Amino acid sequence: MGLSLMASLAAQAQAQAPVRVGSKIDTEGKLLGHMMVLALEANSIKTENKVSLGNTKIVRTALLDGEIDLYPEYTGNGAFMLGAENSPAWKDFRAGYELAKKLDFDKNKIVWLEPANANNTWVIAVRKDLATANQLRTLDDVARYIAKGGIFKLAASAEFMERKDAMPAFNAAYGFKLRADQALVLAGGDTAVTIKAAAEKTSGVNAAMAYGTDGPLAALGLLVMEDPKGVQPVYAPAPLVREDVLKRHPAIATILAPIFKSLDRPTLQMLNARIQLEGQDPRKVASGYLQSKGFLK
Amino acid sequence: MPTSLVQRCNPVLALYVALAIGAACGLPFLRVSPNRLLSGEPVYLWDVLLQHGSPLVYVLMLDIAVLLCIAVWQPKGLTTQAWVVLAMAAGLSGVWLLASHFATSAIQAENPFSRTALGAGFWALCAMAWMIALDAIDRLQLTTLRRLLVQIALLLPLLLSLNEGQHLSIAKEYANQSDIFVPAILRHLQIVWSAVVPALVIGLLLAWRMTQTQSLRQALFPVLNVIQTIPSIALFGLLMAPLAWMAVQLPALGHAGISGVGIAPAVIALFMYALLPIVRSALAGLEQVPAEAVHAARAMGMSSRQLLWQVELPLALPALLIGLRTAVVQTTGLAAISALVGAGGLGQIMFDGLFSAANELVILGVIPIVLLAMLADTFFKVLSSLINVRPQ
Amino acid sequence: MIRFEHTRKLYDGAAAITDLNLDIQQGELLVLLGPSGSGKSTVLKMVNRMVSHDGGHIFFNGQDINSFNVQDLRRRMGYAIQSVGLFPHRTVAQNIATVPKLLGWDAHRVQARVYELLKLLALDPEPFASRYPHQLSGGQQQRVGVARAMAANPDVLLMDEPFGALDPVTRAALQLSIKTIHRATGKTILFVTHDIDEALLLATRIVLLNQGGIAQVGTPLELLQQPANDFVADFLGRADLGLKQLSLRSIAPHIQAIQGTEPIYAIAHTATLREAISQMATLHVSSLSVTDAAGTVIGQVRAADLLENQHA
Repeated sequence: MGLSLMASLAAQAQAQAPVRVGSKIDTEGKLLGHMMVLALEANSIKTENKVSLGNTKIVRTALLDGEIDLYPEYTGNGAFMLGAENSPAWKDFRAGYELAKKLDFDKNKIVWLEPANANNTWVIAVRKDLATANQLRTLDDVARYIAKGGIFKLAASAEFMERKDAMPAFNAAYGFKLRADQALVLAGGDTAVTIKAAAEKTSGVNAAMAYGTDGPLAALGLLVMEDPKGVQPVYAPAPLVREDVLKRHPAIATILAPIFKSLDRPTLQMLNARIQLEGQDPRKVASGYLQSKGFLK
Repeated sequence: MPTSLVQRCNPVLALYVALAIGAACGLPFLRVSPNRLLSGEPVYLWDVLLQHGSPLVYVLMLDIAVLLCIAVWQPKGLTTQAWVVLAMAAGLSGVWLLASHFATSAIQAENPFSRTALGAGFWALCAMAWMIALDAIDRLQLTTLRRLLVQIALLLPLLLSLNEGQHLSIAKEYANQSDIFVPAILRHLQIVWSAVVPALVIGLLLAWRMTQTQSLRQALFPVLNVIQTIPSIALFGLLMAPLAWMAVQLPALGHAGISGVGIAPAVIALFMYALLPIVRSALAGLEQVPAEAVHAARAMGMSSRQLLWQVELPLALPALLIGLRTAVVQTTGLAAISALVGAGGLGQIMFDGLFSAANELVILGVIPIVLLAMLADTFFKVLSSLINVRPQ
Repeated sequence: MIRFEHTRKLYDGAAAITDLNLDIQQGELLVLLGPSGSGKSTVLKMVNRMVSHDGGHIFFNGQDINSFNVQDLRRRMGYAIQSVGLFPHRTVAQNIATVPKLLGWDAHRVQARVYELLKLLALDPEPFASRYPHQLSGGQQQRVGVARAMAANPDVLLMDEPFGALDPVTRAALQLSIKTIHRATGKTILFVTHDIDEALLLATRIVLLNQGGIAQVGTPLELLQQPANDFVADFLGRADLGLKQLSLRSIAPHIQAIQGTEPIYAIAHTATLREAISQMATLHVSSLSVTDAAGTVIGQVRAADLLENQHA
């Protein structure tokens, strides 16, 4: 009897424990993270704000170790996180999501909630003047341009240059390779730095690694190179939550689903631009958006 | 005669003035960009003055120029030095106001998201004004406390006119961070305090033990030295895994906030770094306690504890304070890195800026850290001067 | 008061003190004399257990010193050393007040005692009480050191070559102070020195040590007049034995009534034989008149009488 009393007390204490919401330190991560915090709080679920915790590895490990309960991840990342790099499902929005959802639940009891239909995949964007001068529209064009000896320097993160499903995948599909002096490799993964480098021709950079939903691309005169061979997996943002936390607060799924459904690529680009270009605070942009859509009073 | 050259003029001041003029002419005073991301176009001081210079400004500048020239040739005149200090206070606030007005007009003239960033010229001029003022204060030969008060008074006009700069890029970044700014400062202080206080207690204990056992000393110093050489980010990273494992094994730790990410790995690493300066200075302090005083104290019937508290610690205190000062200043700076392991603090703001390619945000994070370190340094300097009433 | 019974001390297996048996009476000023390495400092430090003895017993007031709590024992003994060891961060008054404070005396009592001791050691309390050690001369520091040792009215005063580092003039002044204090307070004092003249001046009894053992124990006069062996005689300065004796003896027994003309020069009745002969040699006379405290002539002394009656 004493034990069951203790257990119920413990359960009560647990139920009152706040949901720890984390995120990666890039712009979109902060935006989505704050959206999740604001949405949960508005629906009387207490949260602990751990937005902007660290890079992918840190945040993912924190979730698996139980140090955070909820954070926004991308379906495409499931390929290397869950050890299923070779599955073709990742190239499809729905198939990739379902595969990630199944694998992560089976392996780690992590639940993938409803995704946003936006592909925040890795892209290579080049300076408009370079593109116009050399008629560059697709990555095929870029490969041909490089083979002819054209001047090309890409600013990218170390993660992009090394991950099998990123640059190496492009290299394999389009048959080009960058020499050491044709790449400026940075430690951090925030594309603001790479885009700025290309826009300002820092160290001779004329191309930048970017994300599909990046805001500043058009404003800073960069053109996204199309990927006709569909090399890149689909990176749709979706909330990841620990099963035990979801059991305690099943409302999390229903609160976040409509919000993520409303976020398509143009919307995310606009919101990201507000943060990166106009310099608005991610929290304020998130709450402004939620209010405008009626998710927040 | 060369010997009296230094007495006849103030070469330091001449140098500063030359540097200031060079900075004003050669370095961009401000940078204006259409949005937060792009680096701005340089704007030089004379551009700003032409656009915003009122007759008052020109007169003021002329006065300051004349005053400085006079001050170069009057290294000993106390009134001159006092005027120089006043002039520099006005100068600091003056450059700020110039930048602010320019930013305000830029917002109105161009698009509402344009950013006016403070350029290298601005910072150089501020630095030179500060150095000139410090040199003048030195020559006034005040006591430590009075000197401190004058330094604070120097910043007063600037602090009063801070609000004018609300359209500068740095102010906009601050506006975005305003509700987390003070918590970030407090968090930063919490990290520093949590690392330094245990380092002080344990460091003192270790130093005391080392005075008694030679073998401990030979064993421990190499360890402490090696720790200092480990790059801070590496040490933070190395601590994350074992702490995470511990938090999983003992959930109580997790509830107490000790886990693989956050404040725990940061504080532990910073504690380890702070040990060396503290142990080294405590040991030096304890060892220069006169042996005959210790001998006499023991023979008079003092217990080891009484000996420590009444004789050894008070005599070791000056040396210890020096080491503590080093440890606090060092930790204040290093604590910025702890943001990388999720500990928060001012480093968080700094890294946000780095990753978003927003330089003003980086500066917003860095300036408070520098100010905190300077504050700590000054605090300990004052403390040291207060207890050094009796030379040994 | 302090008794050594078959006390031994070993350093690295070799005996530094061999079979010491000594009884120190209350109220005496016992000087431990000897060449360096004789163990005199060691003997002193064994009393307050700064050095532990390896064999035999040492008794303080009848109780084995090992049975005391060592801090209690030390607080009952004053200790003054050559390097003084004043606390640089404390004033003269605070230094002196150290042991009384350890014993929990109240502030009034402490202050009164500090002032009393400063006056006793000829240091004007007003300026000196609030000075720091580095503001004092060597002699003044040692005076404070002695005051500090005496502060809590200890049963015994241990002094380890306290005046060795001072210049001759200051040393003489301090020796006189100690002699006066001893006479006034009747304190038991254990005094270590290698300076024979200092020993002869101060001691009520001398213990002459040689290589860890006692060569002779006795009053200064006994050692001078009846040296036990060659070592004692050599140490005390064979050739000067006679002169040294002279400085221990007063002219008082040799004062006669004046016969014939009154000698031109005078000397006080409290003078020693040595002083009288020294005056006569300086003034090229063979007799001096003796005056009392008021200055009245009470008799005369003659060189021949002073030198003849050796055993008077």
